[in-house]
Amino acid sequence: MRGLVAIFKRELFSHFVTPLAWVAMTAFLLLQGLHFFLIVQHFAGQLDLSADAGPVQTFFGQTMMLYLPLLFVCPVLTMRLFAEERRSGTIEPLLTAPIDTAGVVLGKYLAVVVIYAAMWLPTALYMVLLGRYGEVDWHVVGSGYLAVLAIGAGYLSIGTMTSALARSQLAAALTSAMAIMGLFMVGVGEFIFPEGVGRDLAGHVSAWAHMNDFSRGIVDSRRLVFDATVIALPLFVTVRAVDAWRLE
Amino acid sequence: MIEVEHLSKSYGAVAAVRDLSFQVEKGQVVGFLGPNGAGKSTTLRILAGFLGASSGRVRIAGFDVAEEPHEARSRLGYMPETSPLYPEMKVREYLAFRAELKDVPRAQRKLEVGRCLELARVSDVAEVLIGHLSKGYRQRVGIADALLRSPPLLILDEPTAGLDPNQIREVRALIGGLGAEHTILLSTHILSEVEASCSRAIVIAKGQLVATGSIDEIRGRGRPEVRLVLRGARDAAARALGASPGIASVALEERGDLVYATATLADAEQGDEATERLVAAAVRAKLGVRSVMTHAATLEEVFADLTREEAAARSEVAS
Repeated sequence: MRGLVAIFKRELFSHFVTPLAWVAMTAFLLLQGLHFFLIVQHFAGQLDLSADAGPVQTFFGQTMMLYLPLLFVCPVLTMRLFAEERRSGTIEPLLTAPIDTAGVVLGKYLAVVVIYAAMWLPTALYMVLLGRYGEVDWHVVGSGYLAVLAIGAGYLSIGTMTSALARSQLAAALTSAMAIMGLFMVGVGEFIFPEGVGRDLAGHVSAWAHMNDFSRGIVDSRRLVFDATVIALPLFVTVRAVDAWRLE
Repeated sequence: MIEVEHLSKSYGAVAAVRDLSFQVEKGQVVGFLGPNGAGKSTTLRILAGFLGASSGRVRIAGFDVAEEPHEARSRLGYMPETSPLYPEMKVREYLAFRAELKDVPRAQRKLEVGRCLELARVSDVAEVLIGHLSKGYRQRVGIADALLRSPPLLILDEPTAGLDPNQIREVRALIGGLGAEHTILLSTHILSEVEASCSRAIVIAKGQLVATGSIDEIRGRGRPEVRLVLRGARDAAARALGASPGIASVALEERGDLVYATATLADAEQGDEATERLVAAAVRAKLGVRSVMTHAATLEEVFADLTREEAAARSEVAS
């Protein structure tokens, strides 16, 4: 894993000095702010709330608003990682330094995961606000954020892979958005397919069901294993893809 | 320091490098010459470990670049063509990042970066964003990067490409200074560059080795010419000069009652004797020798010959 720490730091730095990360973050927070505002307004009119359907549960689970932005945010965060280095040629000094390919890939990947987590951080304020004026089940908050992180980390891994496979940033962003969308759509199959293997499979892949479970505080290890697969597989492909450039 | 054995590299159906073998000894400053598209950058990229070879072996300081990449790469500093850098970083930040990548211990990093800034003469722009630098400065930042951790071998791909004459002179002076402590392999298609900074040269064309040796040896591979101005008849001159030993070919041109003859010598080593015999032959044939001028081949001519012959030989084989 030589080079991991240095590349992680540089990648983090470079994200925060380029405007793109800030634009993506601002857009993301605007959307989530609107999302939260609508939820709170909705629940403000209701007098009795069941334990399973409060604003926190709704925020993490029962609307599309939570992961729709991920379809755009994850590709935007990851598209530069390798595509830009190849375009500008900086990949050459990078790969001729005495480092490991796995170190390069993981360093870059972990940097976007940290940025992604930082993007969610301000939304914790919503929970604090809710806690001020009502009761918040912190267990649900924890499992909600865990799911958000696990699903997002998988999407970022897919984005890292497409950035290494595509020639341009745009192509990288488009293919990863399509892959993420595809994964999401397979999950929707849960509501469409008849009873059987297809439906079970769709249910297992479904980000929707995933968030629903976790937003009710159900931490299902099968979901986490699936997320870990979605993280590990594209990263493995990325390492092999970067190694394969040498053989072009 | 560098051992290349039967190196080949093809991109799909196109062979960029074919069966290339050469060595670079410790302490030499070697120019890697060839026309554009000869396979210079491809070869240097393979040496630096950026590209893999299709076949053949490359060893840097005794370590195979494919089998022990870390050992090989940590012994060389490489500056790619056009020196690509991250525009959003300041020069000092960039070099600190590179120093960390190259395993310079944390405690020495600051000192090492300072040393290389100084050595490559970029300390005045240490706090400037790389995106704002001129091409000459960027090139030198690339050299500063190659110098980090003071590797025994420097591989510089076209270090003076695209620079103005003043910048070229600065970079050359820099390379000249570095030659004392490092083995240097630098590629170029500018011949005066090689004459100015290198002790040896490797010439390739179409991916194949066409010449290697010291600059004088390579220049010696060219055929010197003797230019004579003779008074007399063209036919007599042709007979006399053509029969003289050690002459490869004679070109004649008649102007009034004078004949301008250009004799290409077969062998540079016996150039003086051949010249003497040529003049004696002219005198014996009762031609009036008005002037004799010897002309040693320049590196440019040798280079043109070497790379053209190579291309001609190939087209013969092809047809």
